[in-house]
Amino acid sequence: MATGSEPDLTEGLAQVVAEGGIASPSVEVTGVASAGATRRTLFLTVESGTETIPAVAQISSAKSLLGASMTVEDEAKLVRLAESVGVPVAGVLGASENNDLVGGPVVVTRRIDGPTIPRHVLRLLDGNPSIRETLIAQCGQALAKLHQAGTDGAPDSLPRLDAGHPAESYVQQLHLTLDGIGDPYPVLRYGIRWLGENLPLPAEKPAIIHGDFRNGNLIINETGLGAVLDWELAHIGDPMEDVAYLCMRTWRFGAEAHPAGGFGSFDQLRDAYEVAGGTWREDAFRWWLTARTAWWGIGLAFQADNFANGTTNSIVHAASGRRVVELEYDLLSLIEAGL
Amino acid sequence: MIDQPSAPDLLDAMAATLAESVVPACEGPAQHAARVVANLCRILAREFQHGADATSQTIADLQGLLGNNAVDADALVAELEQRLASADSAFDDDELFRVLKANVDRRLAVAKPGYSDN
Repeated sequence: MATGSEPDLTEGLAQVVAEGGIASPSVEVTGVASAGATRRTLFLTVESGTETIPAVAQISSAKSLLGASMTVEDEAKLVRLAESVGVPVAGVLGASENNDLVGGPVVVTRRIDGPTIPRHVLRLLDGNPSIRETLIAQCGQALAKLHQAGTDGAPDSLPRLDAGHPAESYVQQLHLTLDGIGDPYPVLRYGIRWLGENLPLPAEKPAIIHGDFRNGNLIINETGLGAVLDWELAHIGDPMEDVAYLCMRTWRFGAEAHPAGGFGSFDQLRDAYEVAGGTWREDAFRWWLTARTAWWGIGLAFQADNFANGTTNSIVHAASGRRVVELEYDLLSLIEAGL
Repeated sequence: MIDQPSAPDLLDAMAATLAESVVPACEGPAQHAARVVANLCRILAREFQHGADATSQTIADLQGLLGNNAVDADALVAELEQRLASADSAFDDDELFRVLKANVDRRLAVAKPGYSDN
């Protein structure tokens, strides 16, 4: 998969990491990864003096379908902030909004060993079950540390969901997103209506939220949680949103015996989160679990709508239309449990 | 007078061919796409067998819930969505939930059988 035939790209990438503080770098593109719908991911080797740094470049091709308004430079700032409070991340080597360098906004990070593709992660855990206990504890710790980082150092373009009541704002966003979809989805609408009628009390303090913390966006290896990736949906909001999101059934990818992320139990996650200083609010946890389930149901409906209206011809997005019902089932099950 | 194999049998055979021959021969996005298409074939095979009954049952449920004798499923679903969006509270809550749940269960039996076992 060598792609040494992209000299402009390597020059642009070298400039990005040079601006990030790497002295006289030269960059070689060693492979192309497939993951990511709106981002191209390349494997790199960065040479600087006698140092050889395995690295990854993520080049954005389009704005994400749902939200994501942060600049990649602010995203890099956020990752550095998370690193400074003890969240395992892939260290940032450089980031640039300058489309002239590599054709789109780009972030270059160190490469951490370990799979990110959910099926591969679950296979690793099946083969090494003892990793699970460490991993779920590390997830709880990482989230607790991020949520205690405070919001003062948050980058300027980090979206905020803390004006007034985050949950109430979120319900309005869900209604608006569903309004924009061509076909009617009464179960999703019912779910959003229920959410609006059952708002939890807000957190004492809003926090920086990763927003997409789940199998698929984490590097998992023999040591457990290698790095938290994909910060583009980060925002300021209710910390329970992050914890609940990890616990959505859809992110278990079939590992139903381990409801928290496909890795462990809710109790294990809660214990680790609280030991690391986080405050667990059960009502808010349940509410956000329901709200993010509704959100992903809407997300899948949105993908199917984009196929139906000709925005995309992706068979994967077309197939998403037949997955909406899974999220509708999860949504009604959560509502039924809370009735 | 009737062509064979039947549509559901053909779709099952297409799914098996994709899963057993095409998926192992591909990698990356093409492999993922082949997996997705195999799964869609299985869904369509089940829809051929159960889809019409499921739609009839949904129409009957929605006619009762909405007090509307329309026979067009799309129009009934659109009316329910519109009434829910406008915060119409004239529904019997238990009956509303029952109708939504029954509809989801029927669609799930086509899209992902076994999902409700967990």
